[in-house]
Amino acid sequence: MWQYEKKLQYPVKIKNCNAKLAQVIASQYGGPDGELGASLRYLSQRFAMPYPELKGLLTDIGTEELAHLEMVGAIIYQLTRDLSIDEIKKSGFDTYFVDHTTGVYPSSAAGVPFTAAYIQSKGDVITDLHEDLAAEQKARTTYDNILRLCDDPDVRDAIKFLRQREVVHYQRFGEGLRLAQDRLNEKNFYAFNPSFDK
Amino acid sequence: MSEREKLLKKLSGAQFAALEMQLYLDTHKNDATAFKSMKEYLLKAAEYKKEYEARFGPLLAKDLYGDTDFAWLNAPWPWENESEAKK
Repeated sequence: MWQYEKKLQYPVKIKNCNAKLAQVIASQYGGPDGELGASLRYLSQRFAMPYPELKGLLTDIGTEELAHLEMVGAIIYQLTRDLSIDEIKKSGFDTYFVDHTTGVYPSSAAGVPFTAAYIQSKGDVITDLHEDLAAEQKARTTYDNILRLCDDPDVRDAIKFLRQREVVHYQRFGEGLRLAQDRLNEKNFYAFNPSFDK
Repeated sequence: MSEREKLLKKLSGAQFAALEMQLYLDTHKNDATAFKSMKEYLLKAAEYKKEYEARFGPLLAKDLYGDTDFAWLNAPWPWENESEAKK
């Protein structure tokens, strides 16, 4: 089960609204490499994980991703809370506004709604951990791109925290993959070894 | 930064350090130094949480058992700032 703690993992305190930036950052809420996909990916994959270290790792990182989803939602909320209709028209946010007003909705920056097709849960420890390593790098690149597009120090501070977490998670998944490979049959150097093929 | 935000920052810092140790221990479960460090941060976080909840209200609904009113709904919510909360 989960319990809600009424705080953010890291503070989000944005003074100035910016509709264009909100639209771009929304991709990390419900886009292809966003936090919603990350949490669903790890929390779903963990059921097929054979080793306690990996059950723990996917549970803990999957849970942290939910906290990141909340932070990204807070960023979008604070960037759009005081918008005028003029700013909405000028910034190009009107295409989002017409469907969602300023509600936080899981979609990519280009407006594609969130889909489970962004993630995989393959029931194979080696396959899933490779997906997880790639996912962390894709999310890190997306945060790098957001930093390239954003000069508001309030927003950059929170985005930099989220970017750093991708780097740490990548490191931990790499260690998890090594632990898994160390336990596979040593003759099985192609690292195919789901429990079906004993 | 308000008194509430200052205390929240201390709490989040201790919680974050403990979580970082937790993820590390997931792949290094026999590292006694890391586990000791995790426990120290957890203890600090528990102290800050107790102080925060006494002054600013519950962080988890399960912590309401000693309260006289249903303070769960008190503002601000995590995505809001304090000026919004006064509205």
